[in-house]
Amino acid sequence: MARVDMRKLGVVFKREYLERVRSKWFLIVTLLGPVFFGTITVLPTVIAARTQSSTDMANIAIIDASGMGMGDRIAAALKQAYPLSPNADVRAVAADAVPREEDRALLQVQHKELRGYLVLDSSTVAGRSAHYAGRNAGSLGDVGALGAIVRQQVLAQRLTNEGLDANRVARLTGVRLDLVTEKVGDQGREKGSGLGAVAVGYLIAFLLYMMIIIYGQMILRGVMEEKTTRVAEVVVSSVSTDTLLAGKVLGVGAVALTQVLAWLGLSFAMATYLVPMLLTRLAGPGAAGGPTSAAAVMAALPSLSLGSGLAMLGFFLLGFIFYSSLFAAVGAMVNSQEDAQQAAMPVMLLLVSSIVFMTPILTQPNSSFARVMTVIPFSAPILMPMRMILVSVPWYEVAGSLVGVGLAALVAIWLSARIYRVGLLMYGKRPSFAELARWVRYAG
Amino acid sequence: MPDYAIDIRNVGKRYAAHVAVRDLSLQVPRGSVYGLLGPNGAGKTTTIRMILNIIVPDTGTISLFGQPHLTSGATDRIGYLPEERGLYKKMQVRRVLRFLAELKGVPGKVAEQRIEEWLERFQLKTPEKDWGLAKIDELSRGMQQKVQFIGTLLHDPDLVILDEPFSGLDPINAQALKDTIVELKARGKTVIFSTHLMDNAERLCDAVCIIAHGDKVLDGMVSDVKASAGTRTVALDVGGEHRASIAAILADRALVGRVDDQNRFYEIELAAGADPQQLLRRVYETGAPIHRFELMQPSLHQIFLEKVGATGVEEGMSGQG
Repeated sequence: MARVDMRKLGVVFKREYLERVRSKWFLIVTLLGPVFFGTITVLPTVIAARTQSSTDMANIAIIDASGMGMGDRIAAALKQAYPLSPNADVRAVAADAVPREEDRALLQVQHKELRGYLVLDSSTVAGRSAHYAGRNAGSLGDVGALGAIVRQQVLAQRLTNEGLDANRVARLTGVRLDLVTEKVGDQGREKGSGLGAVAVGYLIAFLLYMMIIIYGQMILRGVMEEKTTRVAEVVVSSVSTDTLLAGKVLGVGAVALTQVLAWLGLSFAMATYLVPMLLTRLAGPGAAGGPTSAAAVMAALPSLSLGSGLAMLGFFLLGFIFYSSLFAAVGAMVNSQEDAQQAAMPVMLLLVSSIVFMTPILTQPNSSFARVMTVIPFSAPILMPMRMILVSVPWYEVAGSLVGVGLAALVAIWLSARIYRVGLLMYGKRPSFAELARWVRYAG
Repeated sequence: MPDYAIDIRNVGKRYAAHVAVRDLSLQVPRGSVYGLLGPNGAGKTTTIRMILNIIVPDTGTISLFGQPHLTSGATDRIGYLPEERGLYKKMQVRRVLRFLAELKGVPGKVAEQRIEEWLERFQLKTPEKDWGLAKIDELSRGMQQKVQFIGTLLHDPDLVILDEPFSGLDPINAQALKDTIVELKARGKTVIFSTHLMDNAERLCDAVCIIAHGDKVLDGMVSDVKASAGTRTVALDVGGEHRASIAAILADRALVGRVDDQNRFYEIELAAGADPQQLLRRVYETGAPIHRFELMQPSLHQIFLEKVGATGVEEGMSGQG
């Protein structure tokens, strides 16, 4: 980029930055962002906690063809777990009567007299399978809870069959266990629970994705505005297109960075002052644990070394430059909003494909698939920071990935600068790929 | 060596399908008003864009005030008003102007002061209303044109390039533009404008260059161009009722090349080798009263017609250059 004039770059940068930061929308979004993010992260948790299992879970029919009273055991366990629910209706039948009994139960479920029905047979006693059909069969919480109870009671039944005393069986099988998790890194134990890391990792990847998509498209619109209003012609008579493009990408990037930093600051302030206050209010004055639960939330967040923090900033900046220069090239190609949507599709697909693979990597952050996706330049800026929070990634993988994204950004800048130079003053129909290739070749 | 504001030597630019400018050389004397004339697609805008370093020529060199135009800061001495005008719609007038001035290297403080002067001068800032605080898209079309023009002149350029400045202007604003061009020249600035309106060019320009289809057709001082075209044109008025009596003379191809009926008089282009005195004698012999018989210098319009051809003009009249 030999044609970048630093002084003029500053002038362009200043305009791009100030005009956007001064706008009403920027202020509104920046102030409301943390509230929005807080809501979308907290709300699902609250809803999940509330709907862990339905209160009338035991309102089911148990069609028991086991021939050893397992239905009664399960009904008793359900009664214990859900004391408020109507009792389960145990129907002990012969194995060949199961289909008829199922039909009857099905009708009752359809008429909302029952929530569902559970079928126990010889394969249940053998520890292989049980069958449940019901309105709540799609609820992970309900199915999980029911499965745990059935499993526990099958175990108890089998122990009893082996001749163990009923009281001892009850004592031995009555296990309620919470698994407390902890993440280990190169420096040993790390602060924060594994689940906290998942939440933060998810949030970071989503945030990066959102910032790139929102601000990348902002650059696209900015370029298109300059082109369609013909301001571009005046501006490029004073400043080279390379300088203009660089000033634009950096200026808008700085706006995005400002917003993220403001969000972090506001979120931190909210977590420290607002949340404890709300918790105390909700729990009532004098309730113990109000303020400390906020501290517990903070403690659950994963720790981040300075190096990782800087690497993440690097991923954000390089990824932003990569995508926004591509968006700028698209803006220079088109003359209308409709054209822009179509022409931006390839870039959008790259972005969306990174976010689509988020969940597999979230659950298996050390798989070879995760390794590959966090090194490929177009998905690395979004997925690598997430993976770094979930597991400890070797430094050479992080460095290699950063270099890759950096190189990809350089290629994108080179390509975009050429398309931009020609396209900015080219009015008329959207270029074909052959014409684009010609633009890239001709732009000297 | 004469003092040129712009010195273009053997510049060519071709695109995939066609040649935009072919081996063009032209010199613009410093302190002159220079017209770049030509029909649509002649290469005027391409030439201007090459001067401004927006487009890189394939061949040839361009110098601004004796320096290569690629010299850092060279184009900062140019003020440019493109044919297609436009400004950032959502931006405040003062901020747009300040941005344009700063891009040309004017310090912010100086720019602010000049903006106030210009806004007052163009009645965009009056005691009742300060349009400088409005956003561009709140301004009328005419006011936006004024703002754009201020943006062109804000950095006090030594060379002002106006691409089709008269298109779309009402008579009052056209007059204001002419006054401004004359004033710029009086202050020693060089003004180049492209146009297909020959009347404007003839009245305003010290020198012109006519280009068509990427080639230079002719260039030079307007007085020289007209003198070299010779006085082959006669204005003849015999009064309405006697027009029929000279019809035969006008039809004589040995004497008259072409007749342009201007309603109150005939504009007659003599045939090659014909003597104007013979035409006068022939008309006198018919007995028709001669109200006017004048040997005229051809207008730029006629020279243009002769050199470029009528088809070129019709295209040129339709708009962009």
